[in-house]
Amino acid sequence: MQRSTPSSFRRYAFREHEVDQQGQNGLLTTYREGWRNRSILGLTISLLLVTFYVVLYWEHKVQEQFGVAPLTAFSESVGLRNRWYLYGFLYSVAMIAGAIYYLRRHGNSRYNRYRITVNVAIQIALGFTLPFVMPLFGGKELYFSYFWPLKYDYLYPQTLADVPLYFALYTVVGSLLAAPVLAVLYGKRWYCSWVCGCGGLANTFGDPWRHLTSKSTKSWRFEQLSIHLVLLIAIGTTFLIGLDWLIGSEHPTFHRIVSGNDWKDWSIKSFYGFAVGSILAGVIGTGLYPIFGPRVWCRNFCPMAAVLGWIQKVGRYRIKVKPGMCISCGNCSTYCEMGIDVRSYAQADQSFTRASCVGCGMCAHMCPRGVLKLENSWDRPEDKERQRLSVVDF
Amino acid sequence: MRIVIIGNGVAGMEAALAVREREPSWEISLISEESDHFFSRTALMWVFSGQMSHRDIEPLERDAYTRLGFRRVRARATCIDTAKRLVSLAGGLDPVPYDRLLIASGSRPRSGPWPGSDARGVGHFVTLQDLAWYEDEVHGGSSRAGGPPRPDAHLPVSASDSPYRFREVAAERRGRLARQPAIIGGGLIGIEAVEVAVTAGLRPRFFIREEWFWPIALDPRESQWIADRMSHHGVDVHLEHEVEMLEADSDGNVTAVRTNEGRYEADCVVIAIGVMPNTSWLAGSAIELDERGGGVVVDESLKTSAADVFAAGDCASVRWFDGTRRPEQLWYTARDQGRVAGRRLLGDSPRYERGAWYNSAKLMDIEYTTAGLVNWNLDGEKSWFFEERGTVRSTTRVVVQQDRVVGFNMLGRRWDHSVLIRWIEEQRSLDWVLAHLNDAAFDTELVPPLRISGA
Repeated sequence: MQRSTPSSFRRYAFREHEVDQQGQNGLLTTYREGWRNRSILGLTISLLLVTFYVVLYWEHKVQEQFGVAPLTAFSESVGLRNRWYLYGFLYSVAMIAGAIYYLRRHGNSRYNRYRITVNVAIQIALGFTLPFVMPLFGGKELYFSYFWPLKYDYLYPQTLADVPLYFALYTVVGSLLAAPVLAVLYGKRWYCSWVCGCGGLANTFGDPWRHLTSKSTKSWRFEQLSIHLVLLIAIGTTFLIGLDWLIGSEHPTFHRIVSGNDWKDWSIKSFYGFAVGSILAGVIGTGLYPIFGPRVWCRNFCPMAAVLGWIQKVGRYRIKVKPGMCISCGNCSTYCEMGIDVRSYAQADQSFTRASCVGCGMCAHMCPRGVLKLENSWDRPEDKERQRLSVVDF
Repeated sequence: MRIVIIGNGVAGMEAALAVREREPSWEISLISEESDHFFSRTALMWVFSGQMSHRDIEPLERDAYTRLGFRRVRARATCIDTAKRLVSLAGGLDPVPYDRLLIASGSRPRSGPWPGSDARGVGHFVTLQDLAWYEDEVHGGSSRAGGPPRPDAHLPVSASDSPYRFREVAAERRGRLARQPAIIGGGLIGIEAVEVAVTAGLRPRFFIREEWFWPIALDPRESQWIADRMSHHGVDVHLEHEVEMLEADSDGNVTAVRTNEGRYEADCVVIAIGVMPNTSWLAGSAIELDERGGGVVVDESLKTSAADVFAAGDCASVRWFDGTRRPEQLWYTARDQGRVAGRRLLGDSPRYERGAWYNSAKLMDIEYTTAGLVNWNLDGEKSWFFEERGTVRSTTRVVVQQDRVVGFNMLGRRWDHSVLIRWIEEQRSLDWVLAHLNDAAFDTELVPPLRISGA
């Protein structure tokens, strides 16, 4: 005897937003929807996603084994140049569908509405339209929405030499100057929650699973270790490849180890692409949405998030806590996709800035008492210091 | 030093944390009949709807008791022997000796005074066990669609009058889930029980004795907006209905609510007519209880009539600023009292001083913030009221006494109550407050500020 819960998709859903409301409009039924809670259906979705990414990245292996290259064959049959165009198209479709899903639930709040709209618009315009359009003019596939170190090859000297001058300038200035400055002023959210394609997919297509991100102290420790490890590897790889560009022709062994002679060779460069670009960002980062939540990549591995997180800690951005009003209900922590235990700060009356916070605004949105507020302000620098929180720190 | 705390709600846990912070080696025991883990009682409604899991409403990680060295005693306390300094437990368990004791046993729901209130299918929405019962009636099980019931929900030794006892489920007996829930009592717990029934796809009836919903906090204009939202979400709001009896079928399952206005069918009834101190188990102990309400009488530093025994939270009857003695049944006051009690357990002698009154709530989808004295019928008090109906909808009520602002009642927008309280303490005038009102705004980014027209 079980009541089948009417899906919140139909029920609370953006039904009529005749007025702006700041908080969550109506109760969610998250835990009563099995596919969002690691049910067989949820695990199947994850398996399909993983399979898709494995075929996408290693289609040549699939072809060796089975004699077919399914994605390439399908792409060509629908008139796309290669499977990456198909991927771009599917990515856009998933983002738009996810954005509709998200806005029906949470679109009553302006911050959510503007953020998701801008993020999707940027992805469609910069992420996927440009690469389609540019080859028509003989150009290369360039993504204006990605920067080093997330797009790790954009600062390789060879890449900079190959791309048009304006794009080389854009990527150098964007990666080394604009991104950090904006992070000082607005926190990393300007990128991670408003511009980035990975974050965009997590906040739209991945939104149904945002409550699955672990809030445990263990997962926090893992995150601190893993994300800085990947950052180190990213910086090291970029450095070695730069060095190779300078001296590689005189040192063939060094060149072989760092860059390889052929794209199929195992080298530091190809290993980074394999381990970080394909496995961590693709297969694990997106494929495991329905198991570990939508920000696995952003939280644990993204080197850009690591850099921006450091900058965020010294910048203006913080989550302001209204003193004494928290009822410790846990809506903020539950719906934090980065696994931050927001409640532990709120109940300690402690405004805070966490390096991992991407500023999606959902903690403030879900709070039934209006305790939390995202803001950019130089006031109260002491909020930036690590405070002792009894429940967290003992 | 052996510290024993009866109750692991917010008051008890705050006290335990305060003690542990300073005294790493003291023995701290937490006795609870209700649950193995400290949880946020205010969050039960979200577990019901499925917005959060049981784990999500627990503010501490589950290893906290081990990590902090808290001894967990899952048992029903039955008596305190203040001479021998022992807490007796039900079910033949060894009594727990204490050097200093904190009673933080909280509230229990007030039972229905009407005939038929004990029928199967009638319950409350205050404890974890109430939640389990209500979920069984409406959903046929706990959230996580079809998952097993919470394993630590019930204790076999719970007495038949315990608020934490197992409750029989009418839906199981009938073989059919509740289709027509009724909620009696127009307060905060009532509207929560109503809202979760709406989320389950039902049209609950809401019986309210008063002329309008929640008169102790809202005026008729404010309340009307909430009532509109309830109707909009499919709630049948019945104002000025005095319940007379609950009817049951021959099997003992509730079938209807009879009020002074008529008979209304109902197959699940939630009684939400307030809570009272959970202190009846102290009847045989030498600890003074308030004659009027039954709270544990405490002095200004939360000490009871017995040596080294303190009380905090909903079960403690404290002196209010107006001289009366009664419990403060709020999350915030339980938390603050727990912190003070923790220092008492450490041997300090702090005073519990209730600061300016403030509170907040979410009524259906409308957020509510109040600060200062709003519904006290002060001499010569006047209310300044503004209703905003633009892209944002809100109401703002400022209570003024002798040209000084004394209270705020705000719906729809977010406000920083600490700023509002400061203005009250600074004895600001209405004009000054209205001119500076947006300094207290706590709206999310991009929300246009409140513009008061014609003021």
